[in-house]
Amino acid sequence: MPIDLKKALGATALATAILAGSGSAMAADLRVNIAADPSMIDPITYSELIAGQVISNMYESFTAIDADGQVIPALAESWEPLEGNLGFRFKLREGVKFHSGREFTAEDVKFSFEELLRPGNKAGLNAPYLDVVVGADAMKDGSADTLSGVTVVDDYTVEVAFTRPDVLFPIYPIYLFDSGIVEEAGPEWYNKVSAGTGAFKFENWSRGQKVELAAHADYWGGAPAIDGVEFVVIPSPETAMAMFETGDLDVMVVDGPSMRRVLGNPELKERAITAARAQVRYLAMNSDLYEPFKDKRVREAVCRSLDQDAMIAGLYSGAAKPLYGQVTEGVAGYNPDLPKIEYDPEKAKALLAEAGYPNGEGLPPVKLSTTEPNKNQHLYFASQLQEVLNMPVDVELVERGTHLKSINSGQTPFFAWGWSAGYPDGLYFLSQLWYSDSPYNRGWKNAEFDALIDKASMTADNKERYAIYHEAEGMLMDDWGTCPLPVSTLMATVRDGVSGVAIQPFGLVPFADVTIAE
Amino acid sequence: MLHYATRRLLGLTLVWAVALIVTFFAVRAVPGDPIMVMLSDHAGDAALEARLRADYGLDRPLPVQFLAYIGDVLNGTFGLSYRYVGSTVIDVIRDGMTITPLLALSALFIAVPLGLFFGVFAAVRAGSWADTGIILLLVTFISIPSFALAALLVWMLSLKLALLPVAGWGSPAQLVLPVTVLVVGPMAVIARLTRTYMLEVLDRDFVRTARAKGVRENRVIWRHALGNTMVPIVTSIGLIFGGLLSGAFVVETVFNIPGLGRIAIDSVLARDYPVTMSIVLLFTVFYSLINLCVDLIYAWLDPRIRFDEAAA
Repeated sequence: MPIDLKKALGATALATAILAGSGSAMAADLRVNIAADPSMIDPITYSELIAGQVISNMYESFTAIDADGQVIPALAESWEPLEGNLGFRFKLREGVKFHSGREFTAEDVKFSFEELLRPGNKAGLNAPYLDVVVGADAMKDGSADTLSGVTVVDDYTVEVAFTRPDVLFPIYPIYLFDSGIVEEAGPEWYNKVSAGTGAFKFENWSRGQKVELAAHADYWGGAPAIDGVEFVVIPSPETAMAMFETGDLDVMVVDGPSMRRVLGNPELKERAITAARAQVRYLAMNSDLYEPFKDKRVREAVCRSLDQDAMIAGLYSGAAKPLYGQVTEGVAGYNPDLPKIEYDPEKAKALLAEAGYPNGEGLPPVKLSTTEPNKNQHLYFASQLQEVLNMPVDVELVERGTHLKSINSGQTPFFAWGWSAGYPDGLYFLSQLWYSDSPYNRGWKNAEFDALIDKASMTADNKERYAIYHEAEGMLMDDWGTCPLPVSTLMATVRDGVSGVAIQPFGLVPFADVTIAE
Repeated sequence: MLHYATRRLLGLTLVWAVALIVTFFAVRAVPGDPIMVMLSDHAGDAALEARLRADYGLDRPLPVQFLAYIGDVLNGTFGLSYRYVGSTVIDVIRDGMTITPLLALSALFIAVPLGLFFGVFAAVRAGSWADTGIILLLVTFISIPSFALAALLVWMLSLKLALLPVAGWGSPAQLVLPVTVLVVGPMAVIARLTRTYMLEVLDRDFVRTARAKGVRENRVIWRHALGNTMVPIVTSIGLIFGGLLSGAFVVETVFNIPGLGRIAIDSVLARDYPVTMSIVLLFTVFYSLINLCVDLIYAWLDPRIRFDEAAA
């Protein structure tokens, strides 16, 4: 069994040297916690949020999201739609260098798309964005070796043709990578090197312990001021908190029970940066599976029995905001003017009586299903519904995989769940959760709503498109298609002397502009 | 002796084979499906599910999967991890394989001499205030749960006094707290056992004879008396080592050490079958090898024990 004793001893020796007091040599690395070991560090198989924190510092897309949550051009400088919105012509940024030193050109775009579609590559979250590209199907089933819909016009111009309009394509976070990488590092490059254009390049991954990135000196946005980033794997929030307090972490991503401690400690609170998470939460009520939900008044009664303010105080330690629609704050197309949903037990009781169930009489029993980590929240819902409406609700705990399969195939009548945005636009939430043909539809369907979503996906003008979102979202809320639930806050604390760390609804902004004072 | 050792090793391979079979099927009997974990929010996408099942060979019948797994064990890769895309199990557990045995063995090497010392120290002063004090302390050490002790030590030594790092792995300073937490319980158990056996032995005729012959008291205690308690103590050390390996699960979690224990817990949660199976198998191997060593030490400790004759 190959145990690398030399490496283990080397690491110990190095650590001893640091311990002996030469700490300043390492001080220019930014140390950040991540809650679990990433499952991958490459842009092809990328399929989880935690890996995304690491990967987003190494890889870039056509566009990026700035500290204010706004979409800004990154590897594409500009783009224009092809005729009939059936594709885009991208003008690429010139003078961009990969971690290998090679220059980024249109060929790399084509290569990246092809690798994401190639059968057997175990492509993750980014591959489905390419379904719309001409020739994607042929690549996926192996009948074509190149992607016919991508045309390299010249080194800095690339055209991508679609089978149907998809106006949001430029903002999809499809990471682009180096077409020379396989030749340089072999077909199994993805666990050994990074092939991106980002401000940091891969240096080392100690499984279960940390991922180290080093500054990319040739970064097109200017070489980072710090030497590198160290993502320290710390599953326990308590340990992360203790390490931040003793100065072993420069930035702490705050999670779960630690939020209460940060908010309750003036010194820590002052160091906290926050953003509303780009994740909608909702209570799904499937009327095909529970007869009373067919009546809009019953759905409204359920929503009016829940007190979002009490939930925020009790379940989120104050680190959340109420939600009155299905697009979250900070995501393009958010409507700040949606009417507030008041907690109103009297009105809820009256509505239920009007619907033919006075004091809950005649309501058949229903299970409120969820997974263990969401138990408390569901116990709250159940107790409110029993207390206010006298509704016969029981909380049922289901194993996560089983639960997801059940809710995604429309077999769970009543549950609360969240949905994280894959790209920074409200269409994601509306089209994935409430569009009838979506595989993730949550039980409310409406043909007019669907027509609006179809129209939005063909409307290139942002303002016009956002207006359509507002109309569709209003339709969903007027019909009480769901009860929106509080949006939790993303939070990080930053050590004194560290500046330039920013957070937006999708997480920490890549650390390209961070500085550490000695 | 050599004959005996070979025969025992052969017996152990049988134990390992059984462990391999049992873990393979036990892991699959646990509710949950690795493909569902991979799909996460996209569960329900039948095409993707079918593709992943085929990619990982999970669409094949169980006996075929089992044979494939045996092949993976024999070629030393232990197969592909489900959670770490494109990594073999050996890549995932390689660093952990140096960490957990290092933790458990260093704890053992500290716990045994300390335990023996306190046990003997208390036994020769049986009934005195020092004996009572030590017994009280030992009972406390045996009773205190390791996670509570860990939290207490971190709070005192790391947060309040800033003497030692809170958590992590890589420097000798980071070894101090986890090893201390691991040592305390087993040390107390060994001390309690040693005291009991010593009290029995100190009453025996050969001790009286030694004293009567004028052997120095120190030699009577440490050589004649303690020497004769070693066989039962060494037996219990073999069992205690098992406790240390499982204790490493707790300590690694509390101190954020990327050892086999923490990897095992992660792998169970992620339904990463190949990693879970391989770690269970490795623990079986460590544990059985330590117990084989214990058995072999008998012969050295007590010349009256002759394995080959006993076996005949």
